[in-house]
Amino acid sequence: MTRDLTLAGYAVIALAVLAYQVSAWRRRDRVTFGQFVATLAAWPPTRWPLLAGWLWLGWHLFVRVHWR
Amino acid sequence: MRRQPSARLSQVRDVKLLAVAAVVLAYAWWATQLRPFAATTGAAVVGAGAAAMAFGAHHRRRSARRLGVVDVAVWATLLGALAAWQVAAYLQHPRSDHPTLSSLANALLDTHPARALAFLVWLAGAARLARA
Repeated sequence: MTRDLTLAGYAVIALAVLAYQVSAWRRRDRVTFGQFVATLAAWPPTRWPLLAGWLWLGWHLFVRVHWR
Repeated sequence: MRRQPSARLSQVRDVKLLAVAAVVLAYAWWATQLRPFAATTGAAVVGAGAAAMAFGAHHRRRSARRLGVVDVAVWATLLGALAAWQVAAYLQHPRSDHPTLSSLANALLDTHPARALAFLVWLAGAARLARA
């Protein structure tokens, strides 16, 4: 039950993200997730933390893991 | 019949692009079968990510749009909710009952082809982020 509840929480958030993303595709006055991230990546104070975070994500997913 | 110079140039560009794609594909396959937690693996993954970022930064566009307050509030709320749910799962045990995004990703990336594909997506993301 707890696993289902945790997964349901992720699913609800994913659906909310998808709903806003679709509404941003339809309405030009809203910003899509890609545009939001691209704007943060172009702004100097957030650019370097974002790039460093992306490198960390790669290390976390492809280096720091035990494959079965 | 002689070919137009522009057609030949485009053909050369296509061959170069195919060669680069083949090298990147082979690299992704090689890098995702290395031993976990090893320094070589760390260098192979992070080095490739840094190279992809350098490539993206070299082709930088600088055409980002201005963000409105509502857009920032909505995306920050959604990302904050995801982070909060992830931390709540991370702090509870056992992991099988409280999966984190990492544990879900690990299950998805269990096979070598899935890992290589995800690595390619991550490299493309690195170049795209740095190009912004």
